Amino acid sequence: MEHLLYIGSLMCVWIIVSVAVNLVIGYGGMMTMGHAAYLGIGAYTAASLNIFLGLDFFSAMAAAAVAGAAVAALTLLPLLRLSGFYFALATLGLNFVFFDLFHNLAPRVEGSEGLHGLKLPAALASADTRFVTTLLITVACILAARHLVGSPFGRLLRATRDRPEAVASVGKNPTACQITIWTVSGALTGLAGALYAATLFYIDPTLFTLNASILMMVYVGVGGLASIAGSILGPVLLIGFTESLRFVGLPSQFLGPAQQGLYGALLIGLMIFRRQGLVGKHDFRE
Amino acid sequence: MNNLQVLAIGLGLAGHYALVAVGFALIFATLRIFHIAHGTVFITAGYVFFLLHRAQGIGLLPSGVFAVAVAALLGLAIDKAVYLPILRRGGGMFSVFIASLGVSLIFEAGFLAYTKGVVSVARTGMLDILTAGSVTVRSLDLAVLAIVAMVYGLLYLWLHRTKVGLEVRGLTDNGPLAAVVGVNVDRTRTHIFLLASALAGVAGVLTAYDMGIGPDTGTRTLFVAVVAVILGGMRNLLLGAIIGSVALGILTAYAGFYFPEWLTFSVFITMILLILVRPQGLFG
Repeated sequence: MEHLLYIGSLMCVWIIVSVAVNLVIGYGGMMTMGHAAYLGIGAYTAASLNIFLGLDFFSAMAAAAVAGAAVAALTLLPLLRLSGFYFALATLGLNFVFFDLFHNLAPRVEGSEGLHGLKLPAALASADTRFVTTLLITVACILAARHLVGSPFGRLLRATRDRPEAVASVGKNPTACQITIWTVSGALTGLAGALYAATLFYIDPTLFTLNASILMMVYVGVGGLASIAGSILGPVLLIGFTESLRFVGLPSQFLGPAQQGLYGALLIGLMIFRRQGLVGKHDFRE
Repeated sequence: MNNLQVLAIGLGLAGHYALVAVGFALIFATLRIFHIAHGTVFITAGYVFFLLHRAQGIGLLPSGVFAVAVAALLGLAIDKAVYLPILRRGGGMFSVFIASLGVSLIFEAGFLAYTKGVVSVARTGMLDILTAGSVTVRSLDLAVLAIVAMVYGLLYLWLHRTKVGLEVRGLTDNGPLAAVVGVNVDRTRTHIFLLASALAGVAGVLTAYDMGIGPDTGTRTLFVAVVAVILGGMRNLLLGAIIGSVALGILTAYAGFYFPEWLTFSVFITMILLILVRPQGLFG
């Protein structure tokens, strides 16, 4: 039971991340392969403030969202002059840059590679309350994202994705629109990072490599671009499936490779047969 | 260790990068395919070589030749089974890139399951060492550099003296136009994938023999090669790849010697700054 609740919390974390990533890739048309960096910023901010400064975890979580937004905005600004493929390549580079930053500069608990010993409030302390709290926060994030994409800003965002020059010609600023959605996405990812730390109890730099960014792309791609429902479906189906491999008795040393191989095959299958994913309203262009 | 010694190590590394980089550049410049799985082709050759030479005791040369052949066919198979179907169904550069990532994930998972992550080294015994002043150079590094020089020389002749080479250069300049004036794109494409993958195979065999490989060696080496190609630019394929590889070899050797914990950081900061400042490459 405890393990099921843990898997539930994990799904919630990845739902928030997938929604955040879909906001920029699916709705904004900005290909990101570097969101693992913002996830790491959120996780490290929340865990450090909580462990070393004794800040209560919900305040630390808010700080993680702010840090995620700030780092996302700061890293986006120089990349704005790039477009298409080179933009994606630069965000891919961010993974490696931030991995070394986490590895060399981030605080760590003595005798380990990462951080542990979070002081969690009652609402996050036991497996069942943690699942309920995480679920509530996830629902709030989903509703906020739905509201955002349904609003006039959401329309502007999709228009910026499809016809930036048309957006500019009616007096709106496409670049400001891109910065806004990227920052919102960074905030959500940072928040998810804090919840990720609370779910795992332990974080270290290896959680935030290119592999995590690829994972996000798989979840979003399978669920479907420009669809909030897809970003719920993707992580739930895939985490559910790979965890069920554990229950049918696959030896644990093959679990990682099996999952990785499956995700690789899914990426290829998606790109050949169904680029819009399960319920997507847009596909990987170019 | 003095500066000259680090430089010598950097040039040795550059040889390995150059063989991977030139194939990647060839495919990217002509076909606009960002072939991440080129790293997979490279590392697969290394594993095949390891299996035959170390595990089965088959001789150095036959194992190496067989591994290179496997690499060449694997590269071609990836194009036929993955990239072409995507392009035929209207996918573009991004779709191919993502699928390429998928291919490398699958192979990496296979190697991970097979070796349980253990690094395997095929080389036995010591290498001959040449000393010149305060600098020692391994004979293997000299052999690698000789192979690189030979490969680049042959590539130059292929590009500038044969009909296929002319077509390849035509594709680099203007793909659609080349097709219009009668370049057989399908046949040229096959040549490009076979050749580029074979070169990656040579690099894979050399790396497995010299430094040992692990499941993630392919992707790591590939990204360094990518940065080398971006650095050198693709206007002149051979010159760009060799200059970029030498620069990256020296960069990684010095970074690895003076601040090893910032090695990855320095490679990718270089890449990001380069994309920002000169996306066409330093010599593009």
